[in-house]
Amino acid sequence: MITYLGRRAFHSILSVIGLLTLVFFLTRLTGDPSALYLPLDSTAEARAAFARLNGLDQPIYWQFLDYLRDLLQLDFGESLRQNRSAMQVALEAFPETLKLAAVAITLSTALAILVGSLAAARPGSMFDRVASFVSLAGASAPDFWVAIVGILVFAVGLGLLPTSGTGTWAHWIMPVFVLMLRPFGLLVQVVRGTMLSALASPYIKTARAKGLPRQKIIFGHALRNSLLPVVTVAGDLATSLVNGAVVVESIFGWPGIGKLMIDSIIQRDFAVVQSTILVTATAIFILNIAIDLLYAVLDPRIRY
Amino acid sequence: MNRSVHTIAAVVLMTAAAPSAVAQEAAQEIRIVLPEQPANLEPCGTIITNVGQILSQNVVESLTVIDPVTGQPQPKLATEWTSVDPTTWRIKLREGVKFQDGTELNADAVAFSINRMISGKLTCSNIAKFGDAKLTLTPVDDLTVEIKSDRPEPIMPTLLSVVMIVSPKTPVDQAVNDPVGTGPFTLSTFSPQTVVLDAFDGYWGKKPEITKATYVWRPESSIRAAMVETGEADLTPSIAIQDASNPETDFAYLNSETTAIRIDAAEPPLDDLRVRKALNLAIDWEGLAQLFGDDVKRASQMVVSGINGHDDALEPWPYDPEEAKKLIEEARTAGVAVDTEIKLIGRNGIYPNGAEAMEAMMTMWQDAGLNVKLTMLDVADWLRYLQKPFPPERGPNLLQMMHDNNKGDAAFTVPIFYRSSGSYSTLADPAFDKEIDAALAATGEARTNSFKAIFGKARNEVVADIPMFHMIGYTRVGTRLEWKPDITTNSEIPLANIAIKKD
Repeated sequence: MITYLGRRAFHSILSVIGLLTLVFFLTRLTGDPSALYLPLDSTAEARAAFARLNGLDQPIYWQFLDYLRDLLQLDFGESLRQNRSAMQVALEAFPETLKLAAVAITLSTALAILVGSLAAARPGSMFDRVASFVSLAGASAPDFWVAIVGILVFAVGLGLLPTSGTGTWAHWIMPVFVLMLRPFGLLVQVVRGTMLSALASPYIKTARAKGLPRQKIIFGHALRNSLLPVVTVAGDLATSLVNGAVVVESIFGWPGIGKLMIDSIIQRDFAVVQSTILVTATAIFILNIAIDLLYAVLDPRIRY
Repeated sequence: MNRSVHTIAAVVLMTAAAPSAVAQEAAQEIRIVLPEQPANLEPCGTIITNVGQILSQNVVESLTVIDPVTGQPQPKLATEWTSVDPTTWRIKLREGVKFQDGTELNADAVAFSINRMISGKLTCSNIAKFGDAKLTLTPVDDLTVEIKSDRPEPIMPTLLSVVMIVSPKTPVDQAVNDPVGTGPFTLSTFSPQTVVLDAFDGYWGKKPEITKATYVWRPESSIRAAMVETGEADLTPSIAIQDASNPETDFAYLNSETTAIRIDAAEPPLDDLRVRKALNLAIDWEGLAQLFGDDVKRASQMVVSGINGHDDALEPWPYDPEEAKKLIEEARTAGVAVDTEIKLIGRNGIYPNGAEAMEAMMTMWQDAGLNVKLTMLDVADWLRYLQKPFPPERGPNLLQMMHDNNKGDAAFTVPIFYRSSGSYSTLADPAFDKEIDAALAATGEARTNSFKAIFGKARNEVVADIPMFHMIGYTRVGTRLEWKPDITTNSEIPLANIAIKKD
């Protein structure tokens, strides 16, 4: 296990270094930030001073060497936009995304397991049909549309929830609901499919023949053996949420890392782009290792 | 199954019983929702909308302010100004003013603020308004300071409206996010979610009615409008036309922005005057205006009314497609290659319905007989065509642009657009340059008339551009506030101008 973790960590570090190198050069290809940071009527002299102040007048390979040297000293650079440490900016935003992603993926997985299992237990029933319809609709509804309609109905029309922002538990309801829709829809389909095949297995017939209670057969025997594909898909969905939920963050004014990353790319705030990618890449590598470990817990045949 | 139903019912009940999301702000506290998060709170960047709307005249104040109606500089931290000679201005400062950290406002503090702006040690957007002028500051006595420029600067009092005076304790060599000024509000909180300003008890002037202002930001116009409608916010300075649906709370106002198309007069066939006139005549302006709302105003020049040099008598180009076709045929007969492809360069997101306007204009020019092709670019690529040095082999092009001048004087527009050395200019006319230089050096009525003449020449003789519309902004103001937007709203929202309605 320790060897496995060490090997995964080593590979992850190599991947992060490769990713950061790629991001460093790709961001520089987008052009000169002074075009965006200075007023249109700035003089050439002012533009040159801006480049000098921010080290952008150096050859790109020299800028890269500076970046690597600073990285070794855990100096991730200053945000051009915010006049403060780029890593501080990224680390302030990331927990907001992580909290939202954790709640959304946990709730959607739990709910999908329940609904998918019950639908598979009675295939073709009214519940199964409704579950399939709702899950497919959820998976395919555009999140920005659901978000705006949700605000118009629950905040403007009924006055039950705040339109956006953070602060109280009521602020969580709409963003979490919108973020849950797609994972819930996909996971219900996965759970239903794997459960249908599990419930048709000989060991379930044996369990039924032994007279085990229905609930124990579904949730105790069939579900446990159906969970591996669910974990794979849920892990993949969690990864995309950890990377930031740009639409939800933008509409609901949630100060997460997804919107920060997009804004930084548009604004050519290179240090923040690099820091957000470093933070999310590290989180995704940790998440992937956790998913691998979860496989071993769920399936005793898997050993590292 | 039954358990699931109960769980869902419980969630619905809990939601219904949730405390109302509408924050009950204290009577004199307001909440403003902006379209964008301020990137930082450096007072040297107050010409940037999302910084200026929070800081300008609230936390930090300038030496002068521009009257939104007359365009003339009015006293603020400076009470008087006199021109000692063409390059030197003497500024008298207001007495009894203190910074929020207790420091006295004096000549040294003003010299400190201006020297900080021009030091080159931090990125300062505001200094762009001074162009490449070199300034020297000399305190004369405690409340008098002399500003010397390396060239005549007849509008120095106007330029001083972008100089934000900060405490001498502010770092000289780094941008700050905790500005200390002389304004009626102090910065209390700046987080990724909010900025909070609290009233400053030691303010030198009349105390504003508002005691606390909280700023939040939402990029979606419909969400900003919804926040004011539900009472979560009291004011938003900008909503899209489609969200301005409530006549009780939504106000249209002429902002300082003018949309236009720059004609690249250096490239054939656009170097032909007949073709440039035809471009102006071929557009169905009334039809095009429908994209921008009923209140939009047709433009004949690049500055709005109220800016020194704007000529009310200058008529916009009419719609005359037959005349446009005739002029193009005349040019063709005279050997002008009118069939050459002309690139119409638009900018994504430049203003609402900007892309639709470009598509419509392209079609109208094609109908008139010109070979115009539209290319929409993102801001960085578009900037390459806007500013010198232009891309090599750029070819004949028409460039979509929007110009914002709310600084009171045409000097912030004319040299950039029309002088040969102007960063956006495609003209090379030494005689026109001389007229522009003379206007920039003139004062008083002579200055106003010179700029009017320049706008007249740019429209009638040079036909340097295709002025489109003076744009309209829409705001939503909650029913408990009394506030009206004006030409300066794009750059500042002084909280002192906001009142609470009496019941």
